[in-house]
Amino acid sequence: MSPAGRSLRRTLALSGKELRHIVRDPRTLYLALGMPVVMLFIFGYAVTFDLDRLPLGVLDADRSPESRELVRAFESSGVFQRAWDLSNAAEEAEGHFHRGRIQGALVISPGFGRELGAGREGQVQFLLDGTDGVTAAIALGYAGAIAKAYQLRLLSRLSLELAPPLDARVRLRYNPEARSTIFIVPGLIALILALMMVLLTSLSVAREWERGSLEQLFATPAKRLQILIGKLLPYVALGMLQVLLVLALGTLLFQVPVRGSLLWLLGTALVFISGCVGQGLLISVLTRNQQLATQVAAITALLPTVLLSGFIFPIENMPWPLQALSTIVPARYFISALRGIMLKGNGPAEIWPQLAALLTFALVMLAAANARFQRRLD
Amino acid sequence: MGPEAVIEVAGLTRRFGSFTAVQQVSFSVRAGEIFGFLGANGAGKSTTIRILCGLLAPSEGHACVAGIDVARDPEAVKRSIGYMSQKFSLYLDLTAEENLEFFGGAYGLGRRALRQRGRELLARVGLRERSAEITGRLPGGMRQRLALAAAMLHRPRILFLDEPTSGVDPRARQSFWALIREAAREGVTVFVTTHAMDEAEFCDRIGLMADGRLRALDTPDGLKRSFLPGEMFHLELSPDRSIDALASQPGVLRIESAGAAYRLRVEAGRFDPEKLRALLGPAAVRVERVEPDLEDVFLEVVTQARGEAVP
Ligand SMILES: Nc1ncnc2c1ncn2[C@@H]1O[C@H](COP(=O)(O)OP(=O)(O)O)[C@@H](O)[C@H]1O
Ligand SMILES: [Mg+2]
Repeated sequence: MSPAGRSLRRTLALSGKELRHIVRDPRTLYLALGMPVVMLFIFGYAVTFDLDRLPLGVLDADRSPESRELVRAFESSGVFQRAWDLSNAAEEAEGHFHRGRIQGALVISPGFGRELGAGREGQVQFLLDGTDGVTAAIALGYAGAIAKAYQLRLLSRLSLELAPPLDARVRLRYNPEARSTIFIVPGLIALILALMMVLLTSLSVAREWERGSLEQLFATPAKRLQILIGKLLPYVALGMLQVLLVLALGTLLFQVPVRGSLLWLLGTALVFISGCVGQGLLISVLTRNQQLATQVAAITALLPTVLLSGFIFPIENMPWPLQALSTIVPARYFISALRGIMLKGNGPAEIWPQLAALLTFALVMLAAANARFQRRLD
Repeated sequence: MGPEAVIEVAGLTRRFGSFTAVQQVSFSVRAGEIFGFLGANGAGKSTTIRILCGLLAPSEGHACVAGIDVARDPEAVKRSIGYMSQKFSLYLDLTAEENLEFFGGAYGLGRRALRQRGRELLARVGLRERSAEITGRLPGGMRQRLALAAAMLHRPRILFLDEPTSGVDPRARQSFWALIREAAREGVTVFVTTHAMDEAEFCDRIGLMADGRLRALDTPDGLKRSFLPGEMFHLELSPDRSIDALASQPGVLRIESAGAAYRLRVEAGRFDPEKLRALLGPAAVRVERVEPDLEDVFLEVVTQARGEAVP
């Protein structure tokens, strides 16, 4: 047999064996294919960041046409729901907050309409239950936008020179209904891949160190690269399967769009997966121990992807040290590229910086793992 | 010298940090020989094997296997050897056949050749009927035979077997040794480590390791002759009696106690059972002449080694 044929046979023998492990131990498969589904459902249905009819207490001490219009603007936004009319006592709002009857309160001071009419500032107070920081932040954003729209409408009416009136409705581009599922799915793909790929590969190699089967394998003429590629290939395929699964479910169940090219999406995912698999390999080569590998994988893959990738917490709002740290989190680039491709229809012209970052990460990880993966026991 | 040497080791040393696991070991193994490496746990047997298989680099010294310097070209060595590591390291979740298929692939065997060779070896090690069984469900003896088959897939000239029969029942051990002898008859050189002294009797030559050093090297009979000159007797005394009466007799070389029994070594031709009975009187329950075994040799060698170590 030719050397090339023999090399291919070795790689395939390893991949075939690895595939058998995966098939024999259904837990891996359940985890790999079940977790994306479960997470998609949790994020898609249960944990929604969309605000839907947040109960609002309203104290309109002014009762002028202007104040009533502002209250109406809040009501008609679809985000807030007028749940309680408060009388003048501020403690009353406090009590409602405590009992969880309202999550926000709009307090309009007396003289609001008069002040506005005279061209001065009208006083409005907006109180929010900050217990749930994410919800509060989103609600605050909406409240600000509603107030601004109201202000502009008012302005255009007051100063006739400014006609035609500005249409200052808040409109979210690319995601007109501000549905968080659409925003979440790209992040979810990154999270699932980062977690599963790093964990599964690091475990699979660490297991072989522990059981001594790598020693047996090292005693054969199989080359380092053949062993590495053979072992990693099935996990890369599994990762691609996960991407397709989440995409299919996201599209079918949550109408998540893929506006850009599917091919570029899958290509970007492939680069990201290669980096994750390389990271997993590096971890297992360094730890040679399943338990330690799991911990290191959780700390280096799961945590940064949840916290520092922009998946849930916007990177722009982070203090600068965390922003700096996020630049070495590959999921950051992957999520940004995915959102671009899926929601904005971006192509290579727009996503090349992210793609370059992901490629760099993959190359660094694979090269480091390859360098540390000695076919010796010492 | 008879046939060519296929393993040649000179001044081999391996250190782990400040600890020396193998120290200045030299020996050679001839083609077709069954060479036993004997020693207690931690004596340095596995470390030596790993160096010879190209899995560990030597710290000092030279080792040539199949004419190839293992430090210079470990990859070339791997093509001509089969290795069975001390820890069972086939995949427990694969079937016997799948394990062979995998290792055959790792050796680069073609599909057709592999299928044929696999079938042949499964039959040879007595696993033809159970080839489709998950390896984890096979009894220990069968697993070891399967591991041997995996190490022989590519028809290596030399087999390195690291404690292949540890933790295996006596019958399974015998069948394993039958396979080793069969391979040797076909011209394969077998380098096997063990700490079971009875197995060592099956070896053509034996190297005795203690604390990283090779303390003795000869055929089993040669070892007995040089380390255990004279004759051996097995004695059993009634419980409260002492053997002191014998200790001072001229011609007594060594008395080793083994529980209530003793192994007595004396100069050749000076004692017979009747004389010993007379000397011991009513204390003697049993007195018989025995052949020295390698256990005796091993004890003697270790004792001598300790004596040297103490200044
Ligand atoms: N990789 C290693 N690192 C440190 N010490 C080791 C290593 N491998 C073996 N040793 C030590 O070297 C000594 C000899 O080990 P080994 O060759 O496995 O002995 P044997 O096989 O005769 O039981 C032991 O004391 C063992 O602890
Ligand atoms: Mg050992």
